[in-house]
Amino acid sequence: MIVCVAVVGHQNNPLYIQSFTDADDALKLHHIVHCSLDVVDERVNNPKKSGPTLNETFLGLLYPTENYKVYGYLTNTKVKFILVTTDLDVKDADVRNFFRRFHAAYVDAISNPFHEPGKKITSKTFAERVSTIVKSFGMSSTG
Amino acid sequence: MYCNRLYANKPELAASRIDAIGYQVGHQLSERYTMERPRFTDHLDAIKFICKDFWSELFKKQIDNLKTNHRGTFVLQDNRFRWVSRMSLDPSENGDLSQENAEAAENKAVQEPNMHLHFSCGVIKGALHNLGIACAVSADPSQLPACSFVVRIKP
Repeated sequence: MIVCVAVVGHQNNPLYIQSFTDADDALKLHHIVHCSLDVVDERVNNPKKSGPTLNETFLGLLYPTENYKVYGYLTNTKVKFILVTTDLDVKDADVRNFFRRFHAAYVDAISNPFHEPGKKITSKTFAERVSTIVKSFGMSSTG
Repeated sequence: MYCNRLYANKPELAASRIDAIGYQVGHQLSERYTMERPRFTDHLDAIKFICKDFWSELFKKQIDNLKTNHRGTFVLQDNRFRWVSRMSLDPSENGDLSQENAEAAENKAVQEPNMHLHFSCGVIKGALHNLGIACAVSADPSQLPACSFVVRIKP
């Protein structure tokens, strides 16, 4: 199950962050997302470590914590997408697919002429689309 | 509309306004068209993307000629730039073509495509800015319908 997704701008400014848990641990998830930004920077600046995935937008598993796995995705425009999940065996293809759809939703959201670049995304349509994508992620990994 | 009505007496203001509109368009389009691509490694990669994929999406053709001095200046030449290739100016709106009016019309004929080119400059600038490259873009419409864009990357 996905517990948190985030969009972070090119100056590490949060553009959108949403957790999907009933428990009151939003702050903890935000902290995990925050920590993952350093890992993203490290991956990008030391490309040797990432090996064959050089310059790919999908950064793969950033780091595992005791309860969560954190995945990252960096677009050409230096916007980072972060995904925090509780699933232990996640298929790489599923995560890739998730990020692709998430990116598409993001592109549509910022194409809104009333959206100011670099500001938080407040669009309700975007939030709805993201929650649909998040829900269907659970479906595809179980089914 | 911007050049003729709102800012009729302030062409430089109209130009910057049109440029800003183009900037927004380029900014948004570049996000969309780079979705399925690996990240760019250097400036040349990004400029090549503008010349090939970005231009194909906008105009169904690629940039015809790309020149660079390898020090941050790129010249992108389109031999038949679609947005101005079919542009003509209505002579009737200038009334009788006396010597003075003909001169004014001449001036206008030079200025009109310039105004439209500010938009395309803005598009290129917005796209490159979004890809993390700060630059200034100017257009050279001296040999219409061929048109060249000069991109100067700020160090």
